[in-house]
Amino acid sequence: MENLSADKVLVVDLGSSEITEDELSDELVEEKIGGAAIAKHLYEEHADGDAIVIGTGLLTGTLFPASAAAVMTAKSPVSGKICHCPITLKVGLEIQYAGFDYIVIKGKADHPVFLWIHDGVADISDAAAVWGKNVWETTDTWRNAMGDVLIQTLVIGSAGENGSDFAQVCCNYWSSGDRWGFGKLFGLKNLKGVAFRGMGLLEIADAEEFVEMSLDVLEEIKEGNFVGHKGVGDLCTAMGEADISAWLEPLVHRHSSCYNTPYATNTFACIDHDPKQMEEPEKEETGVLITDIFGLIGFKKAGLSATDACRLLRDCARFGIDAAAVAELSQTSGLKTREAIQGALPELSGRITLPGNGIFSPWCPQQPLFSEFEDVGDDPVSWWERRMAVAYIFGIHPIFAVMSPEITEEDLVEIAAVGTELEIGQETLDKAVHYLLQ
Amino acid sequence: MGIQIDALKCTGCMACEMACGYHRDDGFALLSSCIVAYRTKEKKDYFGVILKRDEDLLIARPEGTEIKRIGETAEVSDSGKKADASAKPMLLREACDLCEEMDLGPMCIKFCPFDAISEA
Repeated sequence: MENLSADKVLVVDLGSSEITEDELSDELVEEKIGGAAIAKHLYEEHADGDAIVIGTGLLTGTLFPASAAAVMTAKSPVSGKICHCPITLKVGLEIQYAGFDYIVIKGKADHPVFLWIHDGVADISDAAAVWGKNVWETTDTWRNAMGDVLIQTLVIGSAGENGSDFAQVCCNYWSSGDRWGFGKLFGLKNLKGVAFRGMGLLEIADAEEFVEMSLDVLEEIKEGNFVGHKGVGDLCTAMGEADISAWLEPLVHRHSSCYNTPYATNTFACIDHDPKQMEEPEKEETGVLITDIFGLIGFKKAGLSATDACRLLRDCARFGIDAAAVAELSQTSGLKTREAIQGALPELSGRITLPGNGIFSPWCPQQPLFSEFEDVGDDPVSWWERRMAVAYIFGIHPIFAVMSPEITEEDLVEIAAVGTELEIGQETLDKAVHYLLQ
Repeated sequence: MGIQIDALKCTGCMACEMACGYHRDDGFALLSSCIVAYRTKEKKDYFGVILKRDEDLLIARPEGTEIKRIGETAEVSDSGKKADASAKPMLLREACDLCEEMDLGPMCIKFCPFDAISEA
């Protein structure tokens, strides 16, 4: 595919160390559009290798608002189904510009490895030096070793190495949308992580029209109901968890956005530093970027102080484990203090509650936020799943997708056709969504 | 006319950087942007925006805005400590031309979702 694409699908067989590249065909894009739909197609094509597929949405990394998300698709050890989770922050962006639209990882390495994907080149590299290190240490090690602090990583910690069902693939240092235990799959493959860096360029079929349409949508968005709200505290309030904001406020430093996303879905909490100091602190590690609403809410409901909750979120991110699962399992196990919960991280087990039909990560709230959506009707679960399917196909930030009715399916298919000059319409989208939901 | 940046409104989304890259390359890319999100201090959440102008660099830090002569980039890129080798040096990037030939005007202003960038 010539436009909005690197036109490359990478297939890495960790068992044989063989790396192959295919073109991304126009026909496949005209059938499945992109993102999770093509990732699922590739998963099925390589299912015999117990594949993990990392891919970008059709609009990921463009000027279309909220085009922050890439996707990871695999069979979840938590649900046993083929599931999808979003990859956000700036990691989805970096995947887009590192030179491959989709990366299929199959087989199992005979020793710990990581993938280094940069400017259209992919290497399987030895990970002996980081096996046993936590998520933060690993990202630091790779960035230092390669002399580039902007390298973006998908990485596991001890939870993934040791086979926890709730192991998470983290983004750089932080919790991610992986609530499917994909971190365990990385560990089973002896795959410590994937590092991305790229300076690619995406061509656009009708660039001027694409940019003007993106700007029109952005201008509508800037009149949206969410304007004036920011951070995880306001997200929690919109979800009906009104007491989180005031509880967290004394620790709040700043709010930040994932790539090109008009709502700051992340909040940095300072726990080892004055949160109100704006000058750069001397300390390298001052707190935690809260990227997981349900982990935060879970620790609040467990009766922890905001400081202890944030310390635990940081513990979970370093260990590479799903904080929301930790919060739920520690409550059912009767663990009441941060120390007790932290000490139990390596052993936590049990069943967790997963709302919805188990296709898209419940990391994203299963309800409209700030705004009303006309098509919710009496079936909010079906509304949410369709909204997720569309977001995961185009690379729209899932949380922004449930707060911005200004982003319509009609706009998305139109701009996809403008950007690619391919035959993409509402019927194409309906079929791709159906394929994902079946 | 010039550009001013309110670093405390900025959420580090990089829309400005991509909009500028589009202006430079007629495609989506970040390599040629003259406005760059400063994001090398991820663990301590210290971020801002740097704009290359004809004679100097406008650096919007969370604690305030400063102007530095071009050539002082090592200090800019890493607060006076070890130079940051990761990004294309600002020295090698073209200065802001306010997108003078584009009907839409300065693209970074148009595409900032938070109105953190405005005309001076």
